[in-house]
Amino acid sequence: MSELAERFIAIPDVLSASPIFAIGLTLSAFFAGNWLFARIGRPLWMPPVVLSAVMLAAVIAGLSVDYLSYQEGALWITVLLGPATVALGIPLYQQIHHIRAMWVPIVVTLPLAATLAAVYAVVIAWALGATPEVLASLAPKSVTAPIAIGITEQLGGSVPLMMGGLLITGVVATLFVDLLAKWLPVDDERILGFALGLNGHAIGTARAFEISHTAGAFASLGMGLTGVFTALILPLVFRL
Amino acid sequence: MAMLRGFLILVLFFLFGEALRLVFVIPVSGGVLGMILMTVTLMLRGRVSDELALSSQALISILVLLIMPGVVGVFFMASQFSGQFLAVAAALLLGTFLSVLSTLLLMKGVVRVSTRSFEDE
Repeated sequence: MSELAERFIAIPDVLSASPIFAIGLTLSAFFAGNWLFARIGRPLWMPPVVLSAVMLAAVIAGLSVDYLSYQEGALWITVLLGPATVALGIPLYQQIHHIRAMWVPIVVTLPLAATLAAVYAVVIAWALGATPEVLASLAPKSVTAPIAIGITEQLGGSVPLMMGGLLITGVVATLFVDLLAKWLPVDDERILGFALGLNGHAIGTARAFEISHTAGAFASLGMGLTGVFTALILPLVFRL
Repeated sequence: MAMLRGFLILVLFFLFGEALRLVFVIPVSGGVLGMILMTVTLMLRGRVSDELALSSQALISILVLLIMPGVVGVFFMASQFSGQFLAVAAALLLGTFLSVLSTLLLMKGVVRVSTRSFEDE
């Protein structure tokens, strides 16, 4: 009987050695988060991704699965971000007539807004006494993860710290865009999409596709341009 | 089958983007380079094949799922923020609030000005 119990207790350890465990866990949390989100009336301040992530973190901690081994298994999911980023080129092309009509505002806004996204964070953290390493980790906070990793390494920041900042930024940028859209008000979904992609990278872009195809295309554009622009400018600015 | 064929095209563009990045030491990810190449290719061809549209829609609709393993990392990283918690939290929350506000106001302002000057012409 006790042997049976021991084997029962060992289940998470044994199963978590296979990537299919991480995949099952992530998928379950994804659907559970969406279900709960619908049940509590789709509140703007609590996007489904946060609900799913909280549940997933609780399960990982509860089963005392090592986070790094989960991450390793979940690589089977996260590698798809590469082709998924390429896939963003398709709505971009389909919405190209909208983007052509907006090219002046895009070209004027982008450099300034992308620079401000980094400057606000760095100045605030610097004023509150953050170390240069932390500053370098916060600077690319609005840039999509694969590009931001490269930037942080170049600046001498910490990649895990940057990833944490990136994710929090993505979530709060999504919340603030939803809130400010109501307060200002801004109802042009092209502007909302662009702001979501520019400030909230992939998390903002995922939210923009929930608004509409057009918002999603503008978010993809904002995310892509911010990534390219920041990657080129930030290392130059930081050297000064 | 059509979905897989479309997926293969996406993977090939991604790999091509990665190759470009490595060869020319471009500080931009292979995914973003692939996205730019994809948009330019489609603009030159003038149409999107059904299989490509199908698999891109499938991937985009699960974008949230793809970023989830990373999002969970926040909960296991909190200890690294500890000593400078206030600075990091203020930079992320206040900084992001300000930058979202700036983007929306800038974009709204420029759109208004540019459409007005367009109407004047």
